[in-house]
Amino acid sequence: MKDTDVLDSPNAIEFKSVTKKYGDVVAVDNLNLSIPRGKITVFVGPSGCGKTTSLRMINRMVEHTSGEILVNGEPNTAQEPHKLRRSMGYVLQQAGLMPHRTIVDNIATVPRLNGTSAKSARTEALQLMETVGLDTSLAKRYPAQLSGGQAQRVGVARALASNSSILLMDEPFSAVDPVVRQDLQKELLRLQSELQRTIIFVTHDIDEAVLLGDYVAVFAVGGRLAQFGTPEEILREPADDFVASFVGRDRGMRRLTFAGASDVKIHPLTSQHTPWQQWELKVEDGKPAGWIIDGRTIPGGSLFVEGGTLRDALDSVLSSPSGVGVAVDRNGKVLGLLKSEDVLAATEAERHRRYGVNA
Amino acid sequence: MNWLMNNLPYVGQLSALHLLQSIIPVIAGTLISIPIARLAVGRRRDGRSTAGHTAGSAFKRGAVVNTAALLYTIPSLALFVLMPLVLGTSITSPLNVYVALTIYVVAMMVRSAVDAFESVSPVTLESATAMGYKPVRRFWAVELPLAVPVMLAGLRVALVSNISMVSVGAVIGIQSLGTLFTDGLRRNLPAEIIVGIVGTVVLALILDRLLALIGAWLTRWRKA
Ligand SMILES: Nc1ncnc2c1ncn2[C@@H]1O[C@H](COP(=O)(O)OP(=O)(O)O)[C@@H](O)[C@H]1O
Ligand SMILES: [Mg+2]
Repeated sequence: MKDTDVLDSPNAIEFKSVTKKYGDVVAVDNLNLSIPRGKITVFVGPSGCGKTTSLRMINRMVEHTSGEILVNGEPNTAQEPHKLRRSMGYVLQQAGLMPHRTIVDNIATVPRLNGTSAKSARTEALQLMETVGLDTSLAKRYPAQLSGGQAQRVGVARALASNSSILLMDEPFSAVDPVVRQDLQKELLRLQSELQRTIIFVTHDIDEAVLLGDYVAVFAVGGRLAQFGTPEEILREPADDFVASFVGRDRGMRRLTFAGASDVKIHPLTSQHTPWQQWELKVEDGKPAGWIIDGRTIPGGSLFVEGGTLRDALDSVLSSPSGVGVAVDRNGKVLGLLKSEDVLAATEAERHRRYGVNA
Repeated sequence: MNWLMNNLPYVGQLSALHLLQSIIPVIAGTLISIPIARLAVGRRRDGRSTAGHTAGSAFKRGAVVNTAALLYTIPSLALFVLMPLVLGTSITSPLNVYVALTIYVVAMMVRSAVDAFESVSPVTLESATAMGYKPVRRFWAVELPLAVPVMLAGLRVALVSNISMVSVGAVIGIQSLGTLFTDGLRRNLPAEIIVGIVGTVVLALILDRLLALIGAWLTRWRKA
């Protein structure tokens, strides 16, 4: 196969009737799946449904029992496992860094295995540290000296080295605390918008899947692929009861993640003769600093950042002690207030638009 | 003190002999123990399965570790006396000490080398494989360096106990600092005996310190 064919083919990876058995246990059951090039495809599903096994069959950390896996159009058994593995990055839940190597040497591992000189491998590693948002002053540290979030960034940088066009990520963010996780998720999306790699991302968290995935593959117990599609398709039309229940009760809320909030009116602060009149928004340096009532200050709820989604708008209203959401610009300066009835009206309008009806 | 001043070159020579007889078996024994231990540990489990060992590998590990421990129960004097019969050497040949002590080092180090290899995180090994290490390179570049901290603890014990066991060879006429005990006893010279004891202790302290320093350098990645 010529290089041009590879680039023309829209799919980076194809599973063709792939089955994996451990003794009598079917870990992956007749998987047929095409993973588009340059996109993030998320494998999501409850624990034990074959996500990790499917991922690891790609780089032959697990050998499949039957069927065929094509990587860039060629069976992944056509080259030796170590060569295949060097051509794709792999990020695990526990970073899996080499404790006895410095950060820069950890990132340089694969280029060094491929025979790149130590000097240019390090130069590349330092650039990658910047790419993933790590201070290069950490370069000479050892993994034991990093926080969990930093270690995961090193893991990502290491996977990006050698220009691997395919990244396999197995629950990479599930062991870090929620705040750091959000940072890492945003960072991954930012990176992807620059680099456009083919990323296969495993998670058991449907919210994470919906947030990160261009495409989502929902796995069901028994190693069965229950549905493959865009996050929106999966939330809107679950293929079966399993997917519907996995996608869960908060489906409606999640769907609002895809809707903009440009319809929601932002009321100026000065119009304080409306329902929130007994509450006063405390503002310091132009930024919200809680609500004042009866002389007491109460911490505020989540903020609606300009350009956010309808879900963010709804949350700002629901979490605010005054029942009134606070909108801020990208610098955190107060823009105005959101009323719950406006937000609800916008969700109604969104629902009508979605189903193309007027009632 | 006087005795020491008058016999300084002699004590120096005995110290050098003692040093050689302590260090060479430790090096040889360690080099022998590492492959035995690595084979006993067998194919490392991958990072996700919960079962540590298969039944077969647990048996192999147990057999190797217990056989090694058994060697250690042979009395050292008996081993020194036995060596000439086995090796065909003369009874006073230092080779007897080298071989006998190497056996003791193996007896001690196999156990700690097995522990050392088992202390290496399977996740790290697996991620090395996933990055494209081939098995042999993975052993030298990842597995062995990561086993060093645990191995080192065993090595320090082996070295110090070796230094004290070398003295036993003096009883059958093999020269070392132990010769100062036997000679001092025969000639009723307490000063000579004391020099022998202090010399052995100082040697043990210096070598142990040195090993600790080398170890700290090899495992500098551990301090957080
Ligand atoms: N090495 C193994 N040996 C035996 N069974 C395994 C092994 N790895 C995974 N399995 C089984 O295969 C199934 C799928 O596992 P896995 O792919 O890890 O699921 P997930 O990543 O979705 O949680 C599970 O039933 C699991 O117990
Ligand atoms: Mg898994």
